[in-house]
Amino acid sequence: MSVPEASGTTVSDEKIEHTIDVRGIATHLFEAGSPAAPPLLYLHGTSLGNLWLDYHRAMAQRFHVFAPDMPGFGLTPRPDWMRDMSDYTLYLRDLLDTLGLDKPFFVGHSLGGWMAVEVAVWYPERVGKLVLSNAAGIRVKGSPIADLFAMNPAELLGTIFEDLSAAAPLIPPEITTDYLLAAFRERTTLASLAWNPSYDPKLERRLARVTCPTLIIWGANDRLIPPVYGDRFHELIAGSRLVKLAGTGHMPMFEQPEAWSRPIIEFLSEQA
Amino acid sequence: MNRLQFHYFHLMPWPYLPEDFDEKYDSSWVTLPNSIYDPQKGHALYNRYFDEIERADKLGWDSVIVNEHHQNAYGTMPSPNIMAAVLTQRVKRAKIGIVGNALPLHDDPLRVAEEIAMLDVISGGRIISGFVRGTGMEYFSYNMNPTVSRERMNEAHDLIIQAWTRPGPFAFEGEHYNYRYVNIWPRPIQQPPPIWLPGTASLETIDFAAAHKYPYMTVFMTMEQRKMAYNLYRRIAEEKYGYEAQPEQLAFCVPVLVAETDEIAMRDGEKYIMWLFNKGLKVRPEFNFPPGYISERSFLGVLKSGVWQQREKPGFKELLDTGVIIVGSPSTVVEKLAYLTDELHAGMLVTGGHVGDVPDYLVLRNQELMAKEVMPHFREKPIKSEPRPVEISSGS
Repeated sequence: MSVPEASGTTVSDEKIEHTIDVRGIATHLFEAGSPAAPPLLYLHGTSLGNLWLDYHRAMAQRFHVFAPDMPGFGLTPRPDWMRDMSDYTLYLRDLLDTLGLDKPFFVGHSLGGWMAVEVAVWYPERVGKLVLSNAAGIRVKGSPIADLFAMNPAELLGTIFEDLSAAAPLIPPEITTDYLLAAFRERTTLASLAWNPSYDPKLERRLARVTCPTLIIWGANDRLIPPVYGDRFHELIAGSRLVKLAGTGHMPMFEQPEAWSRPIIEFLSEQA
Repeated sequence: MNRLQFHYFHLMPWPYLPEDFDEKYDSSWVTLPNSIYDPQKGHALYNRYFDEIERADKLGWDSVIVNEHHQNAYGTMPSPNIMAAVLTQRVKRAKIGIVGNALPLHDDPLRVAEEIAMLDVISGGRIISGFVRGTGMEYFSYNMNPTVSRERMNEAHDLIIQAWTRPGPFAFEGEHYNYRYVNIWPRPIQQPPPIWLPGTASLETIDFAAAHKYPYMTVFMTMEQRKMAYNLYRRIAEEKYGYEAQPEQLAFCVPVLVAETDEIAMRDGEKYIMWLFNKGLKVRPEFNFPPGYISERSFLGVLKSGVWQQREKPGFKELLDTGVIIVGSPSTVVEKLAYLTDELHAGMLVTGGHVGDVPDYLVLRNQELMAKEVMPHFREKPIKSEPRPVEISSGS
């Protein structure tokens, strides 16, 4: 692959860890799966960068998975000028070019779902199929997205998880200054993107521009982004499919990695 | 003793909190139900507070001060310029401070420039204009993005100063504020009205104040924190901006309760001042520090100070011992203020007599004892030019 490396590459049996230069942004990502398999770009939700877990592995069984840390999350820095979703949409197009991906599948969770659907709106020719899981990006009046900025860590975990034991990969062995500073930085990135408005006021109208096959998958008990948001995406994206997973909420890939990845893999494996 | 200015600050709190406030509510800001506010009682309360301020004027305070806070019981002045307008008709002699307008919260800082200009003209040039960013809580209450707070603060400041002092019309081309025609009518009498900056020791605010030679006001901090903040101000003034900071640039906002004896003062202080810390300033930490409201560097400072993890609030004795509050007989209070004037070389005291549900006769006692038995010690003496402060704290 002729990807420009910003720093070293680490190869394990399972995945490759790179830091690549995306128009000046040193982007950290994991890559896994057969290079011969269809490419899949996984866009994480807020503060869920720099992770490689069972749900990633499940997708890598069938696809050539790229899981970058979005700028401001994980190990990818955010330049100060990167302040709204349009910057991320352009960045993602640059990322596709840098990785040499013409038209990969996009799977986006939460904030990453918002990013994925923006790319599908603006660059429909670059998105093979779209999967939105518990995605942000729109507003459903009367059903506000919960104010996670007002929550302490325990309240936040209690809101997004049904089963707190599934949150183990997110809980550091020790709360260090570095950890708190990184958390502050990631929340600042989210605030920059989504304090007010916490959605893209024009996105609802523009969802009609999404032309690729689309799957919407949602934890039925999501208390952060209520399932009615999934209904609305389903309604506004022509031909989309909607799957709701019982017994889980905002973090289905943590709580039910198998039940979450199976319909996604099936959907992405279908021939057009 | 060095000279000290006395500024009478009123927060106009809502003291009538329910009996079960401590157990039932985790914040007196943002989410405290406004059904607790009773407009009829509010009518009487506002007027009582105006009376108190009017007395401060008559007793010889240098200024009376109001401020801006939103959706809380700590201070019921969402529009401080309205309060200042009332005071122009009540306060005949003292200056009138608005410390301050929370600039980044508003999309139209030109309105602030206009209102302060109006007040300055109405009052005959008696306005002090503080500028603040607003507390973290207000970024929730106004749904304003905290990550651009400081940029908006600096830009609104530049716009307002220009609106006051540059002949209009002219264009202002900012990142957050953009005007084709800046041309305010009326213009202020003072060119410009004096600016104050209150703060809680962030490097960015201290640097900004020092750069413009604005008085920097430390708010509810320990004596040690104030000392560090003043040292930092002086060091930045000298090393970065090439001048020596004067006492009039270093202000301290501190609750002071003075009574006939130390014993009486302690009894009343413990009874009334704690309202401020236990109820008025009861805030969810998440409201206090929204993401991006302070820089990473300042956040690191907050982490190191231990404030972030601190769940146990300091009690009366600790607040007293660390100098967050000053309580005592006139001679005790004089002694403590003298530490600030003579050791820390700060020259402006900002304090009020009204905390929480303190009864009016005690407000009056505080005002009179301050005016008659404390103030005279700090009046009509030249400010010592030597020795100038030399201590420079490496940790600041």
